[in-house]
Amino acid sequence: MAGSWVESGKKSDFSISNIPFGIISNDKNHLHRPAIAIGDHVLDLQGFAAAGGFAELKPSDALLSSLNQVTLNDFATLGRPVHRTVRKYIQEVLAEDTNMPNVLRDSSVLREKVLFPLSSVKNHLPMAIGDYTDFFAGRHHAFTVGSLFRGPDNALQPNYHHLPVGYHGRASSVVVSGTALHRPRGQILADPTAKPQRPTFEASKRLDIELELACFVGKGNAMGKPVSVKEASEHIFGYVLMNDWSARDIQTWEYVPLGPFNAKNFGTTISPWIVLADALNPYMTTGIANETPLLEYLQEDPGRTGFELSLEVDLAPLSGPTTTISRTSGRNLMWSFAQMIAHHTVGGCPLRAGDLLGSGTISGLNDDDRGSLLEMSKGGKTPFKLSDGSERVFLKDNDSINIRGWAGGEGASRVGFGHCSGTILPAIS
Amino acid sequence: MAPLRSWLNIESSSDFSIANIPFGIISTAVDPLPRVATAIGSLALDLHAFAQGNGFARLSTIQPHQSVFSQPTLNAFAALGRPMHRVCREYIQSILLEDGPFPDVFQNNHALQQSALIPLEECRMHLPMQIGDYTDFYAGLHHAYNVGVLFRGPQNALQPNYKHLPVGYHGRASSVVVSGTPVRRPNGQILLDPTAEPKQPVLSPCHKLDIELELGCFVCKPSKLGEPVAIGKAADYLFGLVLLNDWSARDIQAWEYVPLGPFTSKSFCTTISPWVVLMDALEPFATHGLKNDAEVLPYLDEKDRKAHYAIDLSVSLTTASDKSTVISTTSAKNLLFSFPQMLTHHTIGGCPFNVGDLLGSGTISGESASGKGCLLEQTENGKVAVQLEGGEQRSFLQDGDIITLTGRCIGENGAIVGFGSCTGRIEPALKL
Repeated sequence: MAGSWVESGKKSDFSISNIPFGIISNDKNHLHRPAIAIGDHVLDLQGFAAAGGFAELKPSDALLSSLNQVTLNDFATLGRPVHRTVRKYIQEVLAEDTNMPNVLRDSSVLREKVLFPLSSVKNHLPMAIGDYTDFFAGRHHAFTVGSLFRGPDNALQPNYHHLPVGYHGRASSVVVSGTALHRPRGQILADPTAKPQRPTFEASKRLDIELELACFVGKGNAMGKPVSVKEASEHIFGYVLMNDWSARDIQTWEYVPLGPFNAKNFGTTISPWIVLADALNPYMTTGIANETPLLEYLQEDPGRTGFELSLEVDLAPLSGPTTTISRTSGRNLMWSFAQMIAHHTVGGCPLRAGDLLGSGTISGLNDDDRGSLLEMSKGGKTPFKLSDGSERVFLKDNDSINIRGWAGGEGASRVGFGHCSGTILPAIS
Repeated sequence: MAPLRSWLNIESSSDFSIANIPFGIISTAVDPLPRVATAIGSLALDLHAFAQGNGFARLSTIQPHQSVFSQPTLNAFAALGRPMHRVCREYIQSILLEDGPFPDVFQNNHALQQSALIPLEECRMHLPMQIGDYTDFYAGLHHAYNVGVLFRGPQNALQPNYKHLPVGYHGRASSVVVSGTPVRRPNGQILLDPTAEPKQPVLSPCHKLDIELELGCFVCKPSKLGEPVAIGKAADYLFGLVLLNDWSARDIQAWEYVPLGPFTSKSFCTTISPWVVLMDALEPFATHGLKNDAEVLPYLDEKDRKAHYAIDLSVSLTTASDKSTVISTTSAKNLLFSFPQMLTHHTIGGCPFNVGDLLGSGTISGESASGKGCLLEQTENGKVAVQLEGGEQRSFLQDGDIITLTGRCIGENGAIVGFGSCTGRIEPALKL
């Protein structure tokens, strides 16, 4: 397959088959504005549009205006047919064998103005997030952690196979890759066996990660008007990777009966480039089978549940080599995003453009394909080794975690997410 | 001290006495653009029109910021901070005051009265703030105890964490609507027979639709990621209160909520009253809440500060045949944790806040049978029917029922600071 005239390494996540959307700024222009990533470069869509780069497309005022915003919300609202047209057009402009060489490839003046090295731009949260919901669709993860606490026979709740279990998260705590987070302090039960139970206030000692896939809503629904599984795909704008950092000790003490709260809301990281639905949907595939017959409103084509996606987690200590601590797959999900959307709206809950839905932790069933340290360390009991021989159970101060993911192999078909990274700074005293 | 008197004719029973001066967002048929207003007696004072007509002439501090009153939400006004809210409220009181200091601004300015005073019944109310995040707490001790008894018996009614931290969960911001918005009975997964094995849910309209009488508190100052708000500073972050009805689908809740908490059973709708009563207006009614016999950790310790409010709360149910019954009366004192404690706990790990964020107190129930904040408690999970005026009975809500929450602080001098009403009518579920 032909690639782009923009130089790109074989392992670049941003091949011509991708064209993910983000919000950038740079030294030359500090305004936040829409962009796409291509190879090792970024195309500033605001600048490109202002210079008439989209003229061949006969863009509507709404499209032009949407590219002049500080988030992608307006663009997402235009709907998948528009996203499709714009993405295809950009692919044609960037194609090695482009039939529109004058638009960008052969215009050094325009390339100078709107094509920047990826390393020279700063990424910002790509959307204004009205609400963030986190699901629990990684069945192997749910089963493993459930077994840790309740034994295999009671690992999963009776509802688990009947509905995609989820909870509302804290939208304000969602941050873009690269944002440093302080280890949270909170109430912890140092001795769970003491009677009566008395918490202490201290920094979390069981700080964990959660490798997730997340989708952004592009089209909302009115209150009282549910979205069906079939309709749901038109409501999805695109996908990012997510790290739902979790403080396990804070979680244990607080979460009964209303769910995780401070254990989660100190920070949730997402990758900065939204991979559009059209780019990732070709990699939809079967996921974890659900043997339970589903109610009609949740029935879904099994071939749309998982993604043929390689997912990896790197841990880098402050000084020392990086270790890839997990290699897992986007197939390790039991519910599709369409099912999550249908369930989320079944009572009439309104979704809005910019809403974020997390899949839940994605884990396999082996030692080396887990999405959380809780699982990797078998409940915090068994340290695992890094590549330099040092050990980890949970995160140490100044550890950095990077989550990577890609579909489509290498070269011109690769569709990847870039980095979803964060460093844990010591707790504030 | 004699109550403040206005040159406007205000009913002595009005929620919107001159001691109140709440803030809301109105629009009218004549001018459909939402804008900031206050309420006084049976009138709205359109602050956008008031500012345009130079009504703030004698308040120099607000002059550079007057455009906040032309915004479609209160967020810009709230962001100006508590000192500014205080002087604006006092100024508005002063221009409404009989024998006030600046009679030419408004009392003698008939043209401005013409453009800025609008009967409340001609106003459409809007959601008063843009809500970035909504969190619901669980600080009604008697409520938490009562529901705990229903499901786990008295020995295990409260979880071990209950008295040590204000238990809360993130709610669905998009589901918060202004009073008067119809509430559609949700469909959802329920177990028709919770005792059957294996469990077989069906998709059905909710059969156990409930209310939750709560207070809502709006935030007026942002906090940064990684920067907790200390308990001594939390009051500066709080703008004002509204009434909040956290409509709940109890059967949907029972099936879905383990282990991650209530979800679709809440996110179909949450109603708030339209007039935000400022913290300064509530200050004369500051009081202690319920005593906590657990020693809270120092970061939550308010010492002897009066951080609760003596607000008389009531719930009434109006049937489709227009018969109304007051089904509950209680007091906002019936909370174990205060809003400053909730904010402090919420930020303790570094969670950031934005202007317009909303905190719900949790269901407020008194100790008596007549003071329950939800039907689940009042009917003991459907066992004992509530008797209504005119002979009807209820276990849970029926289609066509209208629930109205009211809240009122009555001063020693008779001046009332009230919330108006927080109402919603139940519409039938969508056909499946």
